[in-house]
Amino acid sequence: MAICTVSTSHSLHSTCYISAPTRTTAHLGFHQRQVIFYTGGRRSARRGGIVPSVVTCAAGGANTVVIGLAADSGCGKSTFMRRLTSVFGGAAEPPRGGNPDSNTLISDTTTVICLDDYHSLDRTGRKEKGVTALDPAANNFDLMYEQVKALKDGIAVEKPIYNHVTGLLDPPELIKPPKILVIEGLHPMFDPRVRDILDFSIYLDISNEVKFAWKIQRDMAERGHSLESIKASIEARKPDFDAYIDPQKQYADAVIEVLPTQLIPDDNEGKVLRVKLVMKEGVKYFSPVYLFDDGSTISWIPCGRKLTCSYPGIKFAYGPDTYFGKEVSVLEMDGQFDRLDELIYVESHLSNLSTKFYGEVTQQMLKHADFPGSNNGTGLFQTIVGLKIRDLYEQIVAEKAATPLEAAKA
Amino acid sequence: TGPATPSNISDKVSESIKAAEEACAGDPVSGECVAAWDEVEELSAAASHARDKLKGSDPLENYCKDNPEADECRTYED
Repeated sequence: MAICTVSTSHSLHSTCYISAPTRTTAHLGFHQRQVIFYTGGRRSARRGGIVPSVVTCAAGGANTVVIGLAADSGCGKSTFMRRLTSVFGGAAEPPRGGNPDSNTLISDTTTVICLDDYHSLDRTGRKEKGVTALDPAANNFDLMYEQVKALKDGIAVEKPIYNHVTGLLDPPELIKPPKILVIEGLHPMFDPRVRDILDFSIYLDISNEVKFAWKIQRDMAERGHSLESIKASIEARKPDFDAYIDPQKQYADAVIEVLPTQLIPDDNEGKVLRVKLVMKEGVKYFSPVYLFDDGSTISWIPCGRKLTCSYPGIKFAYGPDTYFGKEVSVLEMDGQFDRLDELIYVESHLSNLSTKFYGEVTQQMLKHADFPGSNNGTGLFQTIVGLKIRDLYEQIVAEKAATPLEAAKA
Repeated sequence: TGPATPSNISDKVSESIKAAEEACAGDPVSGECVAAWDEVEELSAAASHARDKLKGSDPLENYCKDNPEADECRTYED
């Protein structure tokens, strides 16, 4: 893709570069493309000084595929992101030389942005108004839409940074359009405009029991935290979570549900998990994974001569179902692996995995054996979804490459 | 157990918990109380991410990032 300044070329593949102060709302128009960026006046004024805003665009060569990942805080979004970027190869790292508290992760193919960066109210602002970060009133969906749309169209943006340590909105960072853009956070499918841009969407649905168990594991050692404080924090956020976050799962193309195991009676440790992968039928470029026979209802206990399982064992289930009135396929795994390399036995019975070679799922899981969830269904299904996204990306790119040729012929 | 939380974040977490308990003492369903517990969650998540960052750091790997030419760090592709 050629890179040149705005004045030089009108070719389809030109890339333009425009600088503008962010103090006022900037209207930036170039070629046939008109882009309007809203930059919160209040926020930039507080920053003091004029921060130059740089906008670049790459017309014609726009191929960015946008993926949305929704989940509550502390529900394994970052682990999922590390598994996903690993499928595409190369390590994901924060932008070089930028803000050390940046939430962005960049690899060769993938850029992951955290939607907390679109908070319209900082920590003090939310406290003054008495709203949580889950509340739509604390988020700037106009800016989210404008910038995600711009990135999809191949235009770089100056995205704000929400600093999770200080609770302040830091000066923006330049995000260039990647091959794959992942937007992860609380509200990727909340605003219909943003939802329509997404090529694929995932919701991580963690049941209340498991969420509580995970937060105990995460926070118990932290000074000041107790069972009561962890419980109080979950309880306080629950009404907003139920009102604004949870309903998004009906729009997701894939939902990963994490539930307490049914193999151990009255288990509440949250270590053994029952995980369901709910896959929507009829989504373009996405064909659901199945076990043994597409469309049948199957229950499978792989433990026996070929797979070593200790208590409580492993149980798979697969079958068609409906989810919010839509047809879905559900793959379920309850229990955990003792030996990760034996996962190949399970992998060999799953179909439509979109792997490039036999054993790729097992290899990906072994590569990250130290990540949380590697011995149960969370890691397995996250890896599978990662492979499905790679497949989807390759199909979209192939189709886009074919379209101009057909147009030229006609 | 992994590494300890950096003290600046750890202090903020415990302060925010105290503040939330105070904010909720008067009215347990007020916006003020809910926002205070939300802040606790945000800081707890930040603390957990900070611990994860420390966990991944190997002393030799860190040294080799700065000194790739040292005897301990040189690697050859073939």
